[in-house]
Amino acid sequence: MKKLLIMAIIASLFMGCSLVKEVKPWEKETLAKPIMQFGGLHPEVNKFESHVYFSKEASRGGSGVAGGGCGCN
Amino acid sequence: MQLKNINSLSTVTILAIVASNALHAENYVAVEFLQYDENSNRVSVSAPSLSASYDIGTNYNIKADFVHDAVSGATPSWQPDSNSGASSRDNSGDYVYENQNFDEERNAGSVMLTTRFENRDELYTGIDYSRESDFDSKAVSAEYLHYTDSTHNQSLNVGISYTMNEILSYDYDSTSGASQKETSSSINIQAGLSQVLNDHSLLKVEGFAIVDDGYLNNPHSNVVRDYGSSSQRLLSENRPDKRTAYGLNLKYITMFGDNLSFKANYRFYTDDWDVSSHTIDHDIYYNLNKKITLGAGFRIYTQTEANFYNKNKDFFTNEAFASSDERLSKFDALTYKASVDFKQNSKISYNLGGQFYSQSTGLDASMITLGVKYKF
Repeated sequence: MKKLLIMAIIASLFMGCSLVKEVKPWEKETLAKPIMQFGGLHPEVNKFESHVYFSKEASRGGSGVAGGGCGCN
Repeated sequence: MQLKNINSLSTVTILAIVASNALHAENYVAVEFLQYDENSNRVSVSAPSLSASYDIGTNYNIKADFVHDAVSGATPSWQPDSNSGASSRDNSGDYVYENQNFDEERNAGSVMLTTRFENRDELYTGIDYSRESDFDSKAVSAEYLHYTDSTHNQSLNVGISYTMNEILSYDYDSTSGASQKETSSSINIQAGLSQVLNDHSLLKVEGFAIVDDGYLNNPHSNVVRDYGSSSQRLLSENRPDKRTAYGLNLKYITMFGDNLSFKANYRFYTDDWDVSSHTIDHDIYYNLNKKITLGAGFRIYTQTEANFYNKNKDFFTNEAFASSDERLSKFDALTYKASVDFKQNSKISYNLGGQFYSQSTGLDASMITLGVKYKF
């Protein structure tokens, strides 16, 4: 069962590779749109959100290495 | 004819690259205001912030931001039960888990310099600073982004940050309630891969590790230690002085048609305090017209409890590590998000956002953000 699961994961990774299509620079108009940024339209608002979650939950990380701590109550 | 076509193609390519860079290379000043309010008269935060981004030529960009938090309200912890007349820290019995009032102000700022190299790789270097009456934090960070192909469809990034904190701890275990300075540090390492999947989809996979070292207690959180036969003492919580965490972050963003984008984010986190969490975050943005963009989102969070957490007042005795801080408990949380952006012209835009956050611990909170951005 474990072997089957590992094989399925590897297979899906290779399938994922085949989904990748080379995109030329002049085809990146859509990708360059503000609503296509991982940081969202307003990175400043994301910072607020991250700060709230950091102060109310026990886990953190994954949103970049920059950023200081706080003694949030 | 063929040469002409090649020339035309080159011109289009150059224009596309310039246009693409121009979209990212924005100089702006933004003012945002956040109002955060919890239920049951718990924490309220008013936080105005100012941020700016400026390109220095084509190879450098500098970003800076400053935020001032005015925090007031209360946070729950074990306290002597004032209704029973108890006031001493070492009296027996009468303790209640109730809100402890506080007021706090925080000033925080950060500066980040982006350096773009000839091959268009990027180096981000930053400093962060945060100051409260009982907590100081300073951080330095660096992250390198390397494009693995000439078309910039795939990139690798590696980053590291070091944070140093100074905490004013209150000695709740003595009758004097004296305070003293403690320190903690944190190292955060992150590495990831970004891949353009097609002309309308992107994928990013990142792994991260965080090592915290030093005084990791919440200085405002107490526990009741029960020594039997009506002998209970209220003492400061005590957490391990080391915490090692690992995690994985998957981000996917795609565009449906010309105006609807969908973003999905999954994060897995685990640490040696036995806290594990899963976070699923979705956002949708829709360009209603050239001026208005609507946004909506939904976040699901679940975490397990730390191995030294317990909320009961007759649970702890002489355990080395003990905490009743609800943030270390097992809980789920949901966030509902909505936003609207209004672009007045090519330079000025306004944004309004609302979020509702609800934890299974009973904590509910609302968050309103209002901002204006000026591009130049």
